[in-house]
Order: sequence, then C-alpha cells, then structure tokens
Amino acid sequence: MTTMMEHPAPTSGHSPKVGIIRHLNIFTAFALGALTAIVVWRLSLSLLPADSESAPLFTREDKITLLSMIGWFVGFMTGIGALVAPFRWVMGKDLSHEENMYLAGKDMGVKRYFRYTTDHKVVGIQYLVITMTIFGMGGILAMLIRANLGTPEGGWIHPQAYNSIVGTHGIIMIVGTIIMVTGPFGNYIMPIMIGARDMAFPRLNALSFWLIVAAAIPLIWGQFIGGISTGWSAYNPLAGQAPLGMNGYIMFICIFALSTMVAGANITTTVVRMRARGMTWNRTPIFIYGVVASVALALPAFPVFFLSQVMSGMDRALGTSFYDTARGGSGWLYENLFWIMGHPEVYVILIPAVAALMEMAPVFTRRPLFSFNVAVMGIAGICGLSVLVWAHHMYMSGWAPLLNAPFMLTTELISIPTGMLFLVLVGTLWRGRLWMTVPTMSIFALLWNFMIGGVTGIYLSDVPADAFLHGSMYVTAHFHYTLMGAGLTGAIASLVYWFPKMTGRMLDTKLSWASFWLVQIGFNVAFIGMFFVGLQGQPRRVEAYAAIFNKGNLVTSIGAATIMTGMLILLAAVIGSWRNGVKASMNPWHAKSLEWTVPNPVPLENFETLPVVTEDVYGYGRKSS
Amino acid sequence: MPDTNTPYFTGQWWKRKDVKRHAVLWVILTALIGYFGSEIQTRAMGTPASEAMENVIHLIRIFTWAAAPVAGFVAAIAIGALMGKRHHGDFPPPEAEHNISNSPRTNAVWIVISALLCLFALVAGLIALQKDNASLLDAKAIHVNVVGQQWAWNYDYPGTAGVRSNVLHLPVDRPVVFHVTSKDVKHSFWVVQMGIKIDANPGVFTESAVTPNKIGTFDIRCAELCGLLHAYMQNKVIVESQSDYETWLASQPDTGKTTWTEEKAAA
Repeated sequence: MTTMMEHPAPTSGHSPKVGIIRHLNIFTAFALGALTAIVVWRLSLSLLPADSESAPLFTREDKITLLSMIGWFVGFMTGIGALVAPFRWVMGKDLSHEENMYLAGKDMGVKRYFRYTTDHKVVGIQYLVITMTIFGMGGILAMLIRANLGTPEGGWIHPQAYNSIVGTHGIIMIVGTIIMVTGPFGNYIMPIMIGARDMAFPRLNALSFWLIVAAAIPLIWGQFIGGISTGWSAYNPLAGQAPLGMNGYIMFICIFALSTMVAGANITTTVVRMRARGMTWNRTPIFIYGVVASVALALPAFPVFFLSQVMSGMDRALGTSFYDTARGGSGWLYENLFWIMGHPEVYVILIPAVAALMEMAPVFTRRPLFSFNVAVMGIAGICGLSVLVWAHHMYMSGWAPLLNAPFMLTTELISIPTGMLFLVLVGTLWRGRLWMTVPTMSIFALLWNFMIGGVTGIYLSDVPADAFLHGSMYVTAHFHYTLMGAGLTGAIASLVYWFPKMTGRMLDTKLSWASFWLVQIGFNVAFIGMFFVGLQGQPRRVEAYAAIFNKGNLVTSIGAATIMTGMLILLAAVIGSWRNGVKASMNPWHAKSLEWTVPNPVPLENFETLPVVTEDVYGYGRKSS
Repeated sequence: MPDTNTPYFTGQWWKRKDVKRHAVLWVILTALIGYFGSEIQTRAMGTPASEAMENVIHLIRIFTWAAAPVAGFVAAIAIGALMGKRHHGDFPPPEAEHNISNSPRTNAVWIVISALLCLFALVAGLIALQKDNASLLDAKAIHVNVVGQQWAWNYDYPGTAGVRSNVLHLPVDRPVVFHVTSKDVKHSFWVVQMGIKIDANPGVFTESAVTPNKIGTFDIRCAELCGLLHAYMQNKVIVESQSDYETWLASQPDTGKTTWTEEKAAA
C-alpha cells in the first residue's frame, strides 16, 4: 500500500466545500445499512399480519427477512453516497468540478479506497482486493468440503451445513471468477489501454463496485439463518423448501446482477465511445475485445438471473407459484431462466481471461499476435453461440427431449470458435522467442487445462454420454478445468503482468513461480482425481460416498491442499511486493500498448494530453522490409 | 534460419527440419493422448451392464480419438516452443526473427478441420441418441414406475396389478421403460452401470429406457441435489433371469395401486 501513502495530502486543509459527500464512507454505509435493516426488521415484525392457516410455511418470516435485507441495501447505498449526485441533479444543483474531483479521490490518499470514489484506478484496486477476499473465502470453503470428503462416511460436518458450504463455495467462486478479470484489470487497465482519462460513467463505476459490497452482506447473513442448502444453482422447488438463508442468496444475486448490468453498460460505452484517436477496431488490443465481449454478454444474461430470483423470492414470500408444479408453475421454468444466464455466464468468465493471455502472448514471444482477425471472430462466435446452448444443462431434466438434438448441435458448434482461440495462441507461440515469465508459462498452462476442459466438454455435450455423466463429479471436474484451470490461470497471469502498473512494484518472481507450479500441479492432481471418481459413478454435491471412490477423493484432497499452499504463497507475494517490492519501471515488459506509456504511479487523469495511436500494438518481430 | 522475407509455407516447406520435428511430435502425442485418454477413462467406468452403457463407453473412446489429433497438435507446438530458444532475465529477448501476423491458409485449414470434427461428433451423437430414443418405443418392453421422494426410491410394476417394492428387480435381456416422477423436489434417477439417467420432477412423468444385459446387482443413485440426505438416496437394482424375476414378482403382495398405467398415460 506504500504507493498510496506517497501522497498523504490531508483532506481537511485546503479541500473545497463539498458538503455531505466528505462525511460519507464505508463506515457510514455499514452503520446506516445496519440501522435501516434493524428498523425495517422491527417494523415488519410488529406490523406484518400473521400467515393465514392455508398459507405455505415460513411466508411471514420470509417477508420479514427479505424486507430487512432490502432495508440493508437501501441504507448501505445511501450511506456510501450513491444517492448524493442523482439527488443533487434532481434538485437542479449538479455537482461542481471541484466536487467531482473530490469524488474522484483527488489528493485524498489511502482514504479514497474506502469511499464512493469514481476514479477508475481506485475502483480497479477495490475490485482486486474484493476478488482476492472472495477467492480466500471460497478457498476456505473448498478446503472444508475436501476435509469432509476425507473419508467415505463424511460426516463431521452436518449435512445441512455441508450442503450450505457447497452452495456458498459455488456461488461466491462464480461471482469471484466473473469479476476477476473485468473487475480489477477491466477497470484499472482498460481505460488507460484505450487512451481514455476515465470510464464513460465514473459514478456508475463506483456504483458497480459498492453494489458488490452491499450484496455480500445478505449472503453472509443468510449463513446464520439456515444457509444456502441448495447448491449454487438453487433449483426450485428445493429452494422453495430451503430455510430462510435462501433469501440471502436471492438478495445477493439480485444486487450482484444489478452491479453486473451497471458495469456492463459502463464498460461497453467506454470502449465504443472513448478509444483514443487512431485506435480503430483493427488496432484495438485483443484484451479490450475480451473485456467488452464479457460484459456485453452479461448484459442480456444477468437481467434473466435477476428475474429468476425475484420470482423465486415471490414464491417464497408472497405465495406466488411460478415454480410450484402443484399450483400451475414449473421447476423447468426456473431451470430455463437459470441456465439462460448460466451458460453465457461461463463465457463471461472465460473470454476475458483467455483474451488477457492473448494480449500477453506477443509481449513474451516478441512477435505479432497470430491472426488477430481470427481471435476476434472466435470471441464473437463464442458470444453468439453461447446464448443458444443453455438447455444442454437440461438434457436429462425431461423438459423437452425433442430439443436435445438441436441443443447438442449448438453446443458442439461452440468448439469451432473455441478452436480459433487455440489457433491464435499456438500460432503466436510458434517460432517466437520465449521470455520465460509466469505469464508465459500461464499460456502453456491455459492450453493444457483448457484443452482438457474443452474435450471433456465435448463428451458432456453429447446426449447419450451425458446420460451417464450428468450430475456426476465428472461435470464438477470439467467446469473447474474451464473456469479455474483456464480462467483463473489467465487472471493470475494478468495480476503478474499488470501488477507493476497497478502498484508501481514488481511482483516477487521467486514466490510467484513457486505459487504457479504448486497451483498448476495441485490443480491437475485434484481434478484428474475428480474426473476419475465421476467416471466411477460418484454424484456431485454428496457429503458421503461409496468406498470405491475413496482413492480418487484422497487424490483430489491432496491436490486441493497443494493448490491452497500455492495460493497462500501468491497472497504472501502480493502483500509483500505491494508493500516493499522492487520498484517497477514505466514499462517493465517493454510492451507496446498504451497503459505502459503512463508513469508510475498513474496520475489522476492518466494522460496529460490524450494519445494518438499510429502503430500496430503487436508490432514485434524483425521487420521484413 | 529461413529467410524472413518470404512466407513460411512456400516451396517444399514440409521438408524443413522444424516442420518434420513437429510432425513427429504430433504423431507421438496424438497416439499417447488417444490411447491413454480413452483407456484410463473407459477403465474407470467399469463393466457395462447394458447396451446403452456400452454405447457411452464407445462414444467416449471415439471422441477421445477424434480430439487426440487436435490436442496432439496443440501439444506439439507447445512443446516445440518450449524446446526452442528460451530467455531468462529482467529484460526482454531480442525480437523474434519474423513478424508473421497471419496465414489465411492455416486459418482455413484449421477451421475446416474443426468443423469436420464437430460434424463427426454430432453425427456420432445423433446415431447413439436415435438408439436411445428408439428403445423408449419398444413394444416388448416391461414398464416400471419410479417414484423419488426425500430420500428414497420406490418402484411399482403397472403390468402386474400393483406390485410395489423399494428394491428394483429387472429381468435380464428384456427392454424396460421407466416412468419417473417425484413426490417432492427434483431428483435424478441414475442407474450407474447401465448408463441411463432421467430427472424425477414433481407432478410430471419423464421416461427413460434400457435393456439390462448382465445378471447382477448394480447401483442406483440420485444425481440431483435434493436436500439433507441426498448423498444417501441410493439403492440397488437386481438384474436376474426371467424365471427368477417372475418368481420374485409373484412373491410380492398386491397393493392394487400404481402411479402410472398405459391407460392413464393415454388419457
């Protein structure tokens, strides 16, 4: 954190008159959020009528819980200052330039990280910290799962708690991986990379981050009122009979979906409207394409997720029957809505991570990116097809057996644009001069892991094979290979690559190498073991299993412990290097994209004069003429 | 080093040393990936107890072999790159000897081959799917109702005026159609060694069919998280000879109640 403390200008001295904004920060937000929640809880407890005799169980409690959580949300967002600017605008007294600069965190030092700060670099760092926190929590839950699966009988965690751990691990890791590249690097690096001074809508940027903080509390709250015992997919009607903790999941998803929509609109607009002069689409770095594709794909997906949870909450609290078969609803409706979000969502996670490694490949092989156009086409093709494949999650649901064949077609077609991404990466490696760094090896790790994840995906896309594999540990291993083996590898490589720009210091080389090998080896040990038990017939999300699965589970647990060791080393490297690592030069990787043309630390508005792009960003390699 | 001014794939490019080296690597890696990929996976799947399961094993084997050349190619280039000139240190290596940024021919070949492999996978899948679907309509099949509830499976035999059981008995080599439903939440009826699975949804019936072809005891597990004791929602299927099956059926008390009949389904 030293870089932030280098300009410890106090806020009290010469700061302009900025009214209430200066008094609002994370503490007022938590205080007002908690206060509102308590007030709403007390009021609804005393005012809400008792359930009628015929009403389903829990309805009144669900109403009270959901209202209190909404109270928390409104109080928190008010307390952080999200409403100040819109309120002032409505009153006809829009924020002055000075106030806007104050909101951007000008001369504020470390305090700006705890406020509704609009500077994209602050938001990027905030996202980085929250992503690491989420992975830390999700990792602890993963270790608890592995510990419970240490013996076939399972058992030292109560099944209800175990199910809740599995569900919470699932949903927070999904959220963590969704934001892991577009959050920290999409916010910090992307605007500089396209030569902009900030995002198109800086306040929306701050909003998208603080919405995630606001969303986290209902999820944690839910853990203490019964937990999320349904797995991350929260299928109905199981979610309908789950304890009150389910409301925490519902609120969490609704608020997180808002955050994703806000961020998606903001990032898309920024890239479309604010690229530097001369940065035509053909000269726009591939990472930018990846980020835009990811958030643009989230734009249609997450409103559906939002809606599915609103309906789930209404079924619980208001006695509607969207998903209740007995009263005219359908669990298949939920499954459809969920997976219409759920399948684009895995590409929301994957595309920016792969694009980030494509961005690094030319830098570390010192030659141009191979077939830029094919890379763009691959990303576009995946985006287009990914909205048409959702029902492959429902082959075995019995919903529409006749649609299995067409969905098998669309699913298998995705292997073509995915193959294009592989072509671009191997084409770039071929005859390059490898500069052996962690990002370089991450490209190889991605090829390995993503190949396994992709090929196992082909088995799963096949309806008759899925009749055996669906719902087994094989599926769990498969999506860990894609989201973690490919996605997280790309995100960690991005961290190593952009760490110097974000913190002004190099990430410790020895520790990051040690972490890389431990994580990659541990990962492959863990999930190859999981493939094995899946093929033997172990279902997902079980807290106990037959004795024949013992060996495979033991292998997985050993691998998981290795991953944990690697991740802790990475954490130590990040904290140590951030505080007192080797100072980085402006362009430590000698790369050609715009983010390396600004000094460390990056000034508040990035560029004194906006850059004009005249060259190919991938112009490496000896010129032939 | 080849002249950087000319495109790489000109003249007798296949005689270049590095192309040959990559080709050898490709063949070896394809064979290794195909062999170990299919052998390890199909061995883990154990002995099949139905033709449907044999199909699954077959599909995994041919998909692995179809994917092996692509995986082998990627692996060959990756290993080739790692075996080439490597550079360590804080400063970048000299720029690569070429600045090739595209190769339309390579792109075209790659896309055509991946499209063909995709088509192959699709056709193979459709053929297997057709077999599975056809077995649903087998007129000689016996019908069994499967009811999932938290956290047990129950079976009844509509052809026999109401025999109910919590252990599934099936005659060998005789097609059987399962009519699956649930009393509460979603479950998934998975007969592991027979390679079939279908969700049990409350309020509706879903169908799945299989012909057991081995005598023995096999596993039935719930494959959809269904609450507290999901992990324990499993029991056995006993596949026996036709005469043993009939003896067992006759020994069961008649409850007079079934959840699914052909008449109900027709209505």
